[in-house]
Amino acid sequence: MAETRLGRWRRTRRYLPGAVLLAPALVVMTLMFFVPMITSLIYSFGDYSGIGPFTWVGLDNYTEILVDPRFQQAWANTAVFAVITMTVGPLLGLVTALMLNNRIPGRTFFRAVFFVPVTASLVVVSTLWKPLLNERGLLNDVLQLIGLERHDWLSDPSTALVAVSAASIWQGFGFETVVFLAALQTIPADLMESARMDGAGPWQRFLAVTLPSLRPTLLFVFVVGMIGAFQAFDQVYVMTGGGPVGSTTTVVFYLVERFRSLDLGHASAAAYLLVAVLVVISAIQFRIARTR
Amino acid sequence: MIRRRRLGLAMLWVVLAASSVIMLVPWFWTVTTSLTPAAEVFSGNLLPNPPTLEAYAQVLTLIPFGGYFLNSVVVTVTVVVLNVVFDTCAAYALAKLPLPGRGVIMIVLLTTLMIPMQVNIIPLYRMMVNVHNAVPWLGADTLSGIIAPSAVQVLGIFLMRQFFVSVPDSILEAARLDGAGEWSILRRVVLPISWPAIATLVIFTGLAAWNDFLWPLIVTGSDASRTLPVGLALLSKKNTVNWSETMAGTVLTALPMIVLFVILQRRFIEGLTAGSVKE
Amino acid sequence: MKSRHLRIAIGVAVALGSSALAGCAPSTDADADDTVVVWDYYGQSTPLTEAIARFEAANPDITVDHQGFDYDSMQEKFSVAVSSNTGPDLATVDMTWLPDLASKGLLADIGDISGGILNGKPIESQYSAGAYGAMRYDDHTIAALYDFDAYALFYRKDVLDAKGLTVPTTWDELLATSAAMAEDSDGDGKADKYALQLLPDSFHYVQLLLQNGGSVLDSSGGVAFDSDAGIGALEFMNELLTDGGGIYWGPSEGDSSGLPGVKDERIGMFLNGPYMMGVLKDGAAAQSGEWAVAPAPYSKQPGSYLGGTGLVIPTTAKHGSAAWKLAEFLLQPEQQLLVYTEAGAAPATEAALAMPELSATDPYFGEQAPFPVFQDAMATATAFPYVPAWPAIDTALTDAVTAVLIGQASPADALKTAATTAETALNG
Repeated sequence: MAETRLGRWRRTRRYLPGAVLLAPALVVMTLMFFVPMITSLIYSFGDYSGIGPFTWVGLDNYTEILVDPRFQQAWANTAVFAVITMTVGPLLGLVTALMLNNRIPGRTFFRAVFFVPVTASLVVVSTLWKPLLNERGLLNDVLQLIGLERHDWLSDPSTALVAVSAASIWQGFGFETVVFLAALQTIPADLMESARMDGAGPWQRFLAVTLPSLRPTLLFVFVVGMIGAFQAFDQVYVMTGGGPVGSTTTVVFYLVERFRSLDLGHASAAAYLLVAVLVVISAIQFRIARTR
Repeated sequence: MIRRRRLGLAMLWVVLAASSVIMLVPWFWTVTTSLTPAAEVFSGNLLPNPPTLEAYAQVLTLIPFGGYFLNSVVVTVTVVVLNVVFDTCAAYALAKLPLPGRGVIMIVLLTTLMIPMQVNIIPLYRMMVNVHNAVPWLGADTLSGIIAPSAVQVLGIFLMRQFFVSVPDSILEAARLDGAGEWSILRRVVLPISWPAIATLVIFTGLAAWNDFLWPLIVTGSDASRTLPVGLALLSKKNTVNWSETMAGTVLTALPMIVLFVILQRRFIEGLTAGSVKE
Repeated sequence: MKSRHLRIAIGVAVALGSSALAGCAPSTDADADDTVVVWDYYGQSTPLTEAIARFEAANPDITVDHQGFDYDSMQEKFSVAVSSNTGPDLATVDMTWLPDLASKGLLADIGDISGGILNGKPIESQYSAGAYGAMRYDDHTIAALYDFDAYALFYRKDVLDAKGLTVPTTWDELLATSAAMAEDSDGDGKADKYALQLLPDSFHYVQLLLQNGGSVLDSSGGVAFDSDAGIGALEFMNELLTDGGGIYWGPSEGDSSGLPGVKDERIGMFLNGPYMMGVLKDGAAAQSGEWAVAPAPYSKQPGSYLGGTGLVIPTTAKHGSAAWKLAEFLLQPEQQLLVYTEAGAAPATEAALAMPELSATDPYFGEQAPFPVFQDAMATATAFPYVPAWPAIDTALTDAVTAVLIGQASPADALKTAATTAETALNG
């Protein structure tokens, strides 16, 4: 009996340092995120405009938006956006980080150049890109120069989403560059050295040393990037307003429209469907990272 | 061999220079527009002739720019400091210390990143209003109201956790065998090798706080507590865009962040190869 | 010292604990003084700064806290604040926001606060019938129109005269005139000089719809824009683009006012509201004397969407009667004139519209008196239907117009799709 208590105490005591370090963050996050989240979760089961009575409607908000064609289109658009940005973005980030990890003249300048778009908010970057993508914009000047047709990228439903994705990648991949760069710096130098001693070429060193060392960073980049991609809103709001003909309406754009009309029930329901999908995606990503 | 390496570096340099052009074109347009008189924007000239600082003068005088700037600095610095402390501690616990269900905790924390901000705004705003009513110098329409929801960010916790995960357990074990407590291991062993990650954390939490628009807009109500992005929006007129002033505001907002980044890069991320982890 | 900290800590804890979950109504009535809080979205060109200074001079017992916001974020800020029982005593809102704000019960009945009297006369008698209708929701007066928006035809008089054309008054004439005015300078088959600006939005489509004898909703509140009149209106809009020298002006142009296109002369004609007088004078000063304004050409009857800026008092206002006192002041003719001189927009009360300053000739418009044209447009203009489903209908109409103008759907099909969406929204 006494031994069990002692054993339990030992086990609990083992958790003590971790719990103490984690507690302050958990308290703040509970107040600032989890309490509001529980509130909005409750909103999602009701007919509520923030003012006036709250009427419980059960799952009605969820079923209503799920059959809304605009919501379905928003999911399809968001998925396409996520796939484009999450394949091209991290790849560009990794390639630039590897290039910038060399001792070359002007390295500080180049690093700043790739990072500069990240320092501006998405709203600013989207504002900048709009005139560039315009039919009379600079991009079309370049295309015409190399013998291609001019195209009004943002006014064509079949290219608008790609154009918005491109601007988002341009703005965001510097984030990935910086994260990868920081991670590359922490790869043990002797690990790389011994691989070189073993006669491994650059490509082999990359596969055998660099990539495995980057695994935690890759998980970070893909989890955070995927969440960010599914939250796409600012760039759509500024560049296309969800159009033309709904071709760039994303899930968050859809729910913000509802939110602006103070339709808190449907807005929250859409948000929690998004959270549910992202939890599943993130859990899969964590699982892959662990098993590989 | 050396010649081949030289050639490779030269090619690399060319690729980097070419992509730099792509990265810089929009900024070139931003800066030139900010130097063009408002009436001549879109007149087809690529370069302002002659360039004028009129738009900058407007931005600095039409709105209380200094006050907004100071508010932004206070908010950003506070957010960064709080995050470095809170996020680092929490991340270390989640990465290296025994805790039940660490992975699940991480995913639960990540839900705070998954929920679109708009959905939380009304409950959060009400909370801040109530705090403000109880304590007039806290909550809504004070800088504390802007800071509170950013004080701990799961993005930062996750970033640091992934960094700590890659720190070999062996160096921690060695310290433990020497009889060091967990706190002193974190301080003496882990933190000294964590500066690249912490610098990255500073950059991202700083950027997010500096550029945040929606929440500061909602939670502030007077010039005394407005931050730069919220204040700059006041330059607009109802029906038109003044491109010169908008772009001048953009340049003035982005510049401090670019400087911060370059400093942190040089100081912490760039020159660290020599001090990287030895296993 | 210690007990003060403790009190604060307890205060914060209680406030945090009690607030969000319950959705309770927090009270902000900490300061019971007579400060009227005003929220304003005009930005740098606001007429309110000067007017409020005059008001404070005339009413030393009332202090006004004038808060500026930008137009784009004001609706969100206003909704969140008012639904959380904070926010201003008086605010400027876009009339197109009224369906949302009013149906959620955020706006106080001005009729109750004012006793139905504005500056000594019944409110109803001081506005045109259409304008008064736009201020009403569910038999309550929820806004006092401060500036109005109704569309007329802006055109480059110098180009029109040089080509020996006359001002169009009917749809057929508009089609012929704009086709004759526009030029295709790069030979790609699309008009790119002195063209008629075509904005793919509900504002411009609804104008054609009304002119063609149609309406957005019928008298019983059902969808009516997919009628023959509606299809005809959209077919005409498309014809203006394909055969009538129209230029498609989508959101990708970056500036819905069209100012960049005006400056580089891509645009030679457009249909828009009186605020564009201010935009042109401000942004295209070099074209002074080259522009003129005419009544919008129509097919069956004159018509336009009616909008503008309303002064509203939220239900949560702490100083409703003082706010109304300020609103009455702002609606006096002399203060209304500031809407024209400062913001370049159109004051809305009948008394203000009768002021000689507004019917004066304007050198920018070639010594024409442009204002009476908009005044006439307002007389036959109609507000968008005030139903909670309006935002959804608005999006559906914009999608339909866009789909047709970019050649993705026929007018009949596009409107049929929009009608289905609108019906779902109306019933939902």
